[in-house]
Parts: sequence; structure tokens; C-alpha cells
Amino acid sequence: MLQIAFKNGGNDYLMPEVRTMSRKLQIVVLACQQALPEPGRLAATLGNSDFKGRVVAEPCSSKVEVFQMLRILSTEADLLWIIGCPEELCRFTEGSFRMGRRVDYARNYLAEIGLETQRLGMSRIPPGDEQALTEAAAEMQRLARSLGPNPARSGSPGGEGVSKP
Amino acid sequence: MIVGTRKPLAEIQDMLKGFDRILLSGCDTCVAECVAGGRKEVAELAAALRMAFQMAGREVDIRENSVDRQCIHEFLLDVVEQAESAQAVLSLACGAGVQALAAHLPEIPVFPALNTLFIGETAERGLWLENCRGCGDCLLGLTGGICPVTRCAKSLLNGPCGGPKNGLCEINLAREFNPEVPCAWLQIYERLMALGQLDRLMQVARPKDWSQGDAGGPRRVLRPDQRP
Ligand code: SF4
Ligand code: SF4
Repeated sequence: MLQIAFKNGGNDYLMPEVRTMSRKLQIVVLACQQALPEPGRLAATLGNSDFKGRVVAEPCSSKVEVFQMLRILSTEADLLWIIGCPEELCRFTEGSFRMGRRVDYARNYLAEIGLETQRLGMSRIPPGDEQALTEAAAEMQRLARSLGPNPARSGSPGGEGVSKP
Repeated sequence: MIVGTRKPLAEIQDMLKGFDRILLSGCDTCVAECVAGGRKEVAELAAALRMAFQMAGREVDIRENSVDRQCIHEFLLDVVEQAESAQAVLSLACGAGVQALAAHLPEIPVFPALNTLFIGETAERGLWLENCRGCGDCLLGLTGGICPVTRCAKSLLNGPCGGPKNGLCEINLAREFNPEVPCAWLQIYERLMALGQLDRLMQVARPKDWSQGDAGGPRRVLRPDQRP
């Protein structure tokens, strides 16, 4: 089935929903607009599976703050993924490097909370590298499936009502 | 500025046991500069606590707030108003801020989210160094602007000791520091040499009156011209 991701104002690209009966696992991707010039395509790729989620275009992956990562995990995402450029291609010189440090810092928080640190992932993808993007999307889906519902997400103690593909 | 670090989440959760409406209050001055207690850190801790409570099956209402200076009473009016609907306040300010806030909230417990560590400077991005212990009798004029009380591991007033090696303090042998700790007295020597004031080192510092510092009980400053 061909699905087209649509833009929800701002920088959000929503993945089309496949199922409506119960809550689907939600993947949120925050992606550097250089690394991912067409966020809608990633949204469509992920939307072809049994997931719900959104892809948010960022000016640079380093603009994603730790509090945003934690907020998204606490309110919305079963899996959160940050996409940046390879460090040497970063237009903000050390932006992609900073993003890696911040993801590590946020993961330490997750470890303290007792949540699987893999719920927060990252990739460094050269702009326009379709192969790398496809692999990252597959990795996101694999991880989201294996981790299942996020028990720390608000309103989902025990993950009731959540379907696991 | 005052430098602090966040307490472990488990300790914070333990302090907040039994409270279902909590206000997190940050301070946007010193502890924001050392990335421990400004509004971003309030947002991080609030999200982390929401997740931790969610996982523990607890429903807790967590509010966020931040003021420019939690140690100045005039800045606290907003927090006090918001705190009135909370059962407990978790302050991300230094110890002085926590206490100033608590003084305004006689009926609401105020807990510290940080361990307040020292008076220091941002030496490099992500590196804060202790450089003043508030000894009450500043020697910096004699030591080229480098504090031996704080930056010499032995607080020697006449240094160096016999331990420095390659410009480094011997405390590096006792435990690992990254980056390594320089010998403060060699820094003082180099600085005075650069200033053409090496003769200062010929003056032997006399025993210090430590009662001016924290050995003399709670200190206070009273300025009659500023009093009401
Ligand atoms: S000599 Fe005393 S007041 Fe001066 S910097 Fe050192 S500790 Fe602070
Ligand atoms: S090596 Fe230098 S800084 Fe270290 S204790 Fe001796 S004099 Fe002080």
C-alpha cells in the first residue's frame, strides 16, 4: 500500500496510521535537516509498518536538548531517535558531536529511571544516503518491536491497550 | 558563582515519597551556568521524575518554575504563589536558594535537588573549578590572583610543598583527576614572575586567622546604611 506522509504545519511529518483499534507503538524521530532533507520520506517509510509517529525537522541535531528528549519519552514516544550528519560533515562544526554527548547524557537519565536506554537511539547519516536511512529505519522498527510499549510514558502503566506488532 | 550538581534521582524520589503535587523550582543564575539547576535542568528533572513515578505506578502532578535568583527574596514572589497549591517543593537552587525559599514557605517542605559544592568559575566548557573558599581574609593580592587556600591541595600559605612534579600537584597521585590538577604554588610563582613581582615570595605569610572563615561560626554582613 502506498502511503504518503503529510506535513502537519511547522516541521512535523506525521506517519499515516494503519490501525485505529488500539494504540500503536509510537516512534518519534528528530532529524537534522541537512542529514535528512526529505523528512516526509522517512515518515512514509516508517508509516508503511505498524507504527505511528512523527519526524521532526531540526536545524541541526545539536539543537535537540536533553529536556526535549526526556519530555518526548515521558509523554509520547515508545522509541525516540535522533538523526544527525556524520561528525565531519556537520555544518555547525561540532553539532553532531554535541548531539552524541547529549544523547549519552539523556541515556544516563533513562538508566537512573530504570528505563531501557535503547529507547533513545541515534544515527549519523550522510545527506542523501538512502541505504543508511533505510537501515536506520529498519533498526528503529526492530528496536521498537523488541522493546514494546514504553512503561514510563504518561498514561500507560503496564502498557494496557497497546498493541505490539 | 556557586557550583552544584544534581543529586541521584533515587535520592530525590525518596525525599518526595508521599507527595502527589510537587513544584520544581530552578534558579537561572549560578546553577544555570553550571548546568545543574536552571530552567532547562528543571525541565529535564521534571520529565525524568514523571517517568520514574509513572514506572512506580504513582500519579504525581509535577509543575515547573524558575526564577532569576532564588537567594534574593524579591525574586521569590512567583514561586511562593505557585507553591501554595503544591504539597512539596523541590528546589534546584544552591543551598542558599533552598533556604531562602523555605523561609517563605513555612507550611510546605522544601527539598534540595542539588548538592551545593563550591564557589568557582567556568574554566572551560563543561569544567568548573573551585577557586574560593570564602576564607574571609583574602590573600589574592599577595599571591598573584591565585588562591592557595583553595587551589593548593594542602592550603599552604607558604608554598610549594616538596611534592609537585612537572607542574602538577601531588594530589594527582592520590586519585585520578581529568584534567590533572596543577600545582597552585607553581602557578603563583609563574604569575608573579610574569608580573615582575617575584619578591612577594620573600614575604613569609603569617598564620592565618581562620575564624574569619567558616571556622568562626555562622558569618554575617551587616551594613547599617542599607538597613531598613
Ligand atoms: S584567599 Fe580566601 S577569600 Fe581569597 S580567594 Fe582564597 S579562599 Fe577566597
Ligand atoms: S604540589 Fe603544589 S598545590 Fe599540591 S599540595 Fe604541594 S604546593 Fe600545594
